[in-house]
Amino acid sequence: MTSETAYLLYFAFALGGAGVYFLLPRGAETRPTVGALFGAGSLIALLLVLSTRVITPDHTTYYFYLFSTLAIASAVRVITHPRPVYSALYFILVVVSVAALLVLLEAEFLAVAAIIVYAGAIMVTYLFVIMLAQQSSTPHYDSRSREPLLAVMIGFILMAAIATRAADITTSHTATNQSRPHAASPVMLVTDSATDESLAGNDKAKPVGNTLLVAASIMTRYVVVLEIAGVLLLVSMVGAIALSRKRVPMEGYRPAVTPLGQIGKEVEPF
Amino acid sequence: MNSLAEYSVISAILFALGLVGFVSRRNLIIIFLSTELMFQGIVLNVVTYARLHGNTDGQAFGLFMLVIAAVEAGLALGMIVLIYRRRGTLDAEAWSFMRG
Repeated sequence: MTSETAYLLYFAFALGGAGVYFLLPRGAETRPTVGALFGAGSLIALLLVLSTRVITPDHTTYYFYLFSTLAIASAVRVITHPRPVYSALYFILVVVSVAALLVLLEAEFLAVAAIIVYAGAIMVTYLFVIMLAQQSSTPHYDSRSREPLLAVMIGFILMAAIATRAADITTSHTATNQSRPHAASPVMLVTDSATDESLAGNDKAKPVGNTLLVAASIMTRYVVVLEIAGVLLLVSMVGAIALSRKRVPMEGYRPAVTPLGQIGKEVEPF
Repeated sequence: MNSLAEYSVISAILFALGLVGFVSRRNLIIIFLSTELMFQGIVLNVVTYARLHGNTDGQAFGLFMLVIAAVEAGLALGMIVLIYRRRGTLDAEAWSFMRG
């Protein structure tokens, strides 16, 4: 990364930090229009930086710009919207945009799995909890953030550090990998794994699907991790049932039938 | 075709935005939504590096991170419901008396 693009990237991050600071809810001091202007400027500067690095523009480039803009803008709305329901809905937009970026990276199986698991399962759970805990008006803790200036400064300095470093590493690796032709080929091959010969040895010219490669990787190299993930899911299911089974009294609320000191003891712990 | 550096820049932005939300918001549900946002950034980064090295290990890790996210969401939301029933508020500051 040359120094000019790095400074332009820092400029974009500074603009974005100002935008997020103005957008974060701070009671009556929130300035949504100012924040939106700063954010739009930051996005334009970011797209300028990214457009200097395109090798050969084709249709995936425009899809990349569209979905990365959508992902960043809705991520900002997730953390700045004062109402949790809208935050959850904007998060679904983030998930869909990131899934589209994963498709551009030729990780189709992971993209579809992310949409099903996140947008289909996790976000429904979130929405249920939000509806359970909903209050009629916007409560004061939603319209006031905690130390917005400090949080934005720390977060955006970290963002600049990670982004420039990751871009440098990725660029240098891409430069070294260009000598290996299969690394940049559209069909990804399992290069240095034990499954390489068994998969690609049958027919080297035949294109291998992404799902087959991921499945081969999970079922051979990472089969222990797969088992541990299953056990983890089971443990969390047991834990969630045990958590929600216990009756917890509200503070200051005394049921008439239960004598004092017996609250919460109706269910035997197991 | 874009160079892969842009994808890692986008993933860094998503991760840092999640961090800002995690630190600055006070609603417990939005705090956990911010961790999910950070997960999205990490999954994108991991898949980018998998593409860079030309293998599928990163995609396998991305799938396992989906499992972790589901586990975290299930347990955390159960705890949030408990906390809400006990205090009647989702404010993280309501529990500020719990000091290490």
